[in-house]
Formats: sequence, C-alpha cells, structure tokens
Amino acid sequence: MFILKNAWISIKRNKGRNILIGIIILIIACACTITLAIKNTASDLIDSYKSAYDKEVTIGFNRENMMKDFDPSQEEGRESAREKFDNVASYTISDVEKFADSDYIESYYYTYGVGLNGNSIEKAEIESNSDMPNGFGHGKETNMSSTDFTLTGYSSKDAMSEFISGTYTMSEITDNAWDIAFHGNYVFINQELAEYNDLKLNDKIKLEDEDGNTYEFEIIGIFKENEEENQEPMSMFSKSVNTIITNSDAVVALTNENENLKASIYPTFIIDSYDHVEKLQDEFYKKGLDENFLLQTNEELAESGVSSVKNISSFSTTFLVITLIIGGIVLFLINMINIRERKYEIGVLRTIGISKLKLTMQFVSELVIVSVVALTLGAGIGAISSKGVSNSLLANEINSSNEKTEEINKNFGGMNHGGDRGGMHGKGMPVVEAYDSIDAVVDIKVLLELLSIGLSLVLVSSIASMVSIQRFSPLTILKERS
Amino acid sequence: MENKKKNNGVSNDHLGKDVSKKERKIKNKESKEVKESNPFPKDIILSIKNASYRYSDAEEDDYALKNVSFDFESGKLYAIRGRSGTGKTTLLSLISGLEKCSEGEIIFDGKSLKEMNLDKYRNSDIGIVFQSYNLLPFMTAVENIILSMDANGLKIKNKKEKAIELMKKVGLKASYANRKVLRLSGGEQQRVAIARSLSYNPKMIIADEPTGNLDKQTETEILEIFKKLAHEENKCVIIVTHSQNVCDTVDKIYNLKKVQEK
Repeated sequence: MFILKNAWISIKRNKGRNILIGIIILIIACACTITLAIKNTASDLIDSYKSAYDKEVTIGFNRENMMKDFDPSQEEGRESAREKFDNVASYTISDVEKFADSDYIESYYYTYGVGLNGNSIEKAEIESNSDMPNGFGHGKETNMSSTDFTLTGYSSKDAMSEFISGTYTMSEITDNAWDIAFHGNYVFINQELAEYNDLKLNDKIKLEDEDGNTYEFEIIGIFKENEEENQEPMSMFSKSVNTIITNSDAVVALTNENENLKASIYPTFIIDSYDHVEKLQDEFYKKGLDENFLLQTNEELAESGVSSVKNISSFSTTFLVITLIIGGIVLFLINMINIRERKYEIGVLRTIGISKLKLTMQFVSELVIVSVVALTLGAGIGAISSKGVSNSLLANEINSSNEKTEEINKNFGGMNHGGDRGGMHGKGMPVVEAYDSIDAVVDIKVLLELLSIGLSLVLVSSIASMVSIQRFSPLTILKERS
Repeated sequence: MENKKKNNGVSNDHLGKDVSKKERKIKNKESKEVKESNPFPKDIILSIKNASYRYSDAEEDDYALKNVSFDFESGKLYAIRGRSGTGKTTLLSLISGLEKCSEGEIIFDGKSLKEMNLDKYRNSDIGIVFQSYNLLPFMTAVENIILSMDANGLKIKNKKEKAIELMKKVGLKASYANRKVLRLSGGEQQRVAIARSLSYNPKMIIADEPTGNLDKQTETEILEIFKKLAHEENKCVIIVTHSQNVCDTVDKIYNLKKVQEK
C-alpha cells in the first residue's frame, strides 16, 4: 500500500514526465495493436486461404536421381540418361488406385492420356523438337509424339488444372457440356484445331489408333490456349493445338478396346497434411513406385497466393520490432534521466529506512500505472485504427479473390457450374466470406499480446531504475547533495 | 576510567568531558556496577567496539577510521567532535547503518548491527538528522513526517494529527504543516527533520552537524530540543559536530583524531 501510495504521489508530482512516458507508451501500444491485429488477421487469412487450396500431391520425376550419373560431355553419359528416361516404369489406373489407398489421402483424380491419329480430321502442323518424356507413366511404348493427337482424359473437373490456372480458356461450349463431359465420347478441342479443320460445336470427329481402330467423339467445347505464356516461339500454333480433351472413362474404354494402346496417367492426390508427404512417399515406394519418381506438392503454389498478405504480415512484424526497439530505448533513456533527477529522493528514502526492494517496486509501479493507462488508451485507439487498416487489407484481398473467381469461371466458358467436389472452389479459391466481419480483429489474443509486450517493455526499460537503486549509496548521494 | 580508554594504534581519544562531574561520577559508578554483572549494561544502548572503516578503493592500511570504541547510554546527549577529516561523518554512517564496519563491530541494544536488518534499524530504532535536513522538497512538512511513519509501517489512525503534534513538540506552528518545506527557513526545516526522526519514537537520535547551517539563536533552540529528548524522553542523542556551543550543551564529548595523528 505504501509503495502504491508513494508511486501515485510521484506520478502526480511528475506530471510532465509521466505524460511524456504515457504518450510514448501510447504510441507504442497503438502501433502494437494495429500491427498485432494486422498480423493476426493476415495469419487467419493465410490459414483460410491455404485451407481453400486442396493439399495436392503429384508424382514427378526425381531428376536429381535420374541425372546423377549424367555427364553431358560424354556420349555414354547421355546414353545412360536417355535409357533411364525411356525405361522408367509406367503405371495404370489400378496402380494409382493402389497408391490412393492410404490413410494420408483424402481423394484423388487423374488425367489419362493416349496418342491417336486423325481419321476425319487433320493434325495441325506444329514444329516440335521435344522427344523427351513429359510426365509420370510415360513408357517407351507410349510415344505420343509419334501420333497426330493426344487424347487427354480427365477424371473430374478438379483434374482440369489448365482451365483452373487459366492456361486454357473455354471459348465456345454447348449448354449441357458440363452435364455430359464426364460420361461418354465427348471432347473439347483447341480453337486452332477447330479452325484448321473447320470444326464447330456438336460436330463429330473420328480418331484412330495405330492398329487402325477408329473412335468417334462429339465436340462439346472449344478452348483456346493462353498464347502469351504458352505459344512456342517461332510456331504458328499453340502447344495444345493437337490436344483433345475428354474424360478418363473414355480413354479407359479405348485402352480396354485395344490392349496395345498404351496410356499415360497423371494422378493428383489430395492429402490431409503437407507434413505427411515424406511418409506417403515411403508408402508409395513400398507399394511399387519407381525410385526415379518422387512426390511433389502444391504447397508453394498455395503459399504464392498469399504472398502479398504474408508481405504485409512480415512488414507488420518488422514495424513492430522497430517500434519496440526505438520505444524501448526512449523509455530506457527517460528512465535514466528520471533516476538521475530523483537521485536525491532515493538517497533520502533509503536513509529513512526504505529498502531497495520497496524503492525498486515503487519506481516500477509508477511506470506500470502510467503504462496500464497508456496501454488501455493505445489499445482503444489502435483497435479503431486497425479496423480501417484491416478493412482496407480485406477489401484488397476480397477484390483480388473475386477477380480470380471470375477469371476461372471465364476459363471454363463463363458459366457458373458446380464441379464434382463442391463446385469451383476446389482449387485456388480463397474463402473470402470469413472476412466480411472485422469484429474479431482486436480480440482478447491481441490484447493479451499487447499487455505482455507492453509490460515486458516497461520492465526492461525499468532496468535502469532497478540497477541504479541497487548501486546508489544513500550516503554518497546525500554528500553530493550537500 | 571509561573515557580514557586507549587502544593499540588508537586514532580516537575519549575525553568524556561531562557537563556535570558529579552526575558523571554517579553514572560511572552505576555503569561499573552493571558492567561487572553484564557485559552489555542495560543503560548502554550503543556500543562501538574497535570499529575501523576503510573505503573499498583505499589501500590496505589507509583507514578513514581506526579502532574506535565508544559507548552510548540512553538518556544522554553526546557530541562526537573532531577536525575535518577525522572520520566524524564516517562514524555517523557506521552508527546509522548506512555503511558497514571494515573491522570491529557496533552493538545496538545488545545486537550487533551485522545481524540486523539495517533498513528496519533505520526506520524503527534510530532517527537521523542531517546538517542539510534531507527533507523531500516537493512534500509539505507534514507529508515528510508521514512518509517516515509510512516507511516504519506505523499503523495509527491519524497520522497527520500525530505529525502536527510532533511539529509542535519541536517548536513549529501547526499552520506550517501544509507548507512545502522549501518555503520554510533553515531552522524550521531542521525542526521538521527532527520531528520526522521522532515520528516512530526511536530509541536513539543521530544528528550530523544539525546546527551547522543555523544561527546562534536557532542553534540554541535546536540543542534545547535534543537536550529535552535525551533527558526527558530517555533517548540517546548523538551529535556529530565541531561547534563549541554544541559541546558546551552535551553531557559527554567524544573526540576523534585523524588516523595519521595517532
């Protein structure tokens, strides 16, 4: 009681200095509140954004493993590498199903590709110098580059990553396209191929395999490839000009019809957590995955979607640290001056028998009382300000998300249709609805963080008082005064 | 004789110049009798035994104070006299527990200061009065006195009334109670300092040149207060001084000499 009473008297007596300390702490508190609120909001936003992404795992080449004996300067090295690429194992749908039977995998989809020649249509001539395999399951028998067309079957809409990413955009589509796209011999063809062969929606095309079997498909959509990013230099056509898109069942039906037809499968597994990738990979190897393959995740892609928010969060943290360092130094210096000014008082109080501990507690109490008031005011002002800042942050994010939604819908032909797994948000779509309320920005967590930061700062800056009180000899102080 | 004790390498000289020789003789007789039966006689409140003090940064044999042995009794007014540099203030800081003896010991009321909580000792057992008063200038007279009561942990209802009572006791008007001490004269400030030192009724008052900044008239008045405290309230009052006026007033004088003069 004596300590608090004396502390209160001192605060009232040194109004100017305490107001200055209060203002500094208020500014720090204000900055802390805004920063913590932004940081927490950004963190929620990032978590939510990431959760909007499926945690995807695909199978890719273990290039490091494959290239480890590769010496480009020697013919033998090049041969050995080529052999490795040619001899990697190929996998079937049943292999993928076997892999997918894991506790870590929630669902999966795949694309299933096969090479066919034109029967009723002609291949659009393109220049290609690539004879390297281009994906998982590419066996030496399946040399799609030797055929006119690549028929790619998607197991579901979620598998149609090129449309989701915007590489392909649907330019024409039949009204019922998405109702029938995954249930029969329906295809989407490249706009350039359509123009080359004078094809339009609902036209039927015939393709044939190398054994002469013909297969008929109906065109239900025409897509175009984003030229800026994907057109090969010095080429008339885009890379996908001879890619015909259908569903995986249609490709399976083809391979069932002709066993010589070799297909390549590109599976995507949705996992429960990125932390389980290594365990899953070991499981895949045990189930027969070639060691020249490894698992790749879309974590980086998911991260890249929130990079701007992360930047804001990281900027906030830096700002907070700088504010705390500067604020801490200023408070420390004020405390030093305070102690020097009050040296005589300390001497007198020590002489009349007030212990060092009580005196230290009195000085710290003074600072804590001022700090609590300033922190409360700062938290209030910060809460009001952070609302605006966070709203602005949210508005930008919502805007950017909406733009992305519209863009993906546009890529699929401008129709708002449901996908196989709950609509379009299955990929790359942040859930923005969670952020239309700002009430949770300055919550109890922020206030507790603020309180602990503020009081820690006060205690650290009080070290000057504590050390000085321990060191001062009352007699020396009083002698100096005399 | 008590006041003629001589130590090896003594730096101090106990003149023990009693104002009343008759009284001194009686006391000495009583004291001797007590000493024979008790190593720490009841009326001796403070005993300094071969106390030496050397500053922490001083050389090994560079003492500010060496082998000082004095005894102080309750109900007596003492003066410690000496020229500048003889260690008067050092001795006072040892007695008041602001410094600790390098060698020897000080015994208060039967207990060595080494074993005591010196903060508690300063805010309960002794009252200290300084030449420069050492009041807190931003406080009123009464607040300074109450602060001392608070430091002691004194639990009484009307601290302010008690403080004003103390002020009156040392010759200050009650109307000065709420006056900032800086607006009081030197003599008045010294009276507040004395009142403060009395606030928790200590057994001993230690004063360092309490009249050094005061005129003759005020000095006499202040000394009268100390005299009353010793003789009427049975307190042991020790005044460190080089004022002849003070020496003429006290019951006993201890002289300090410079260590080099021994």
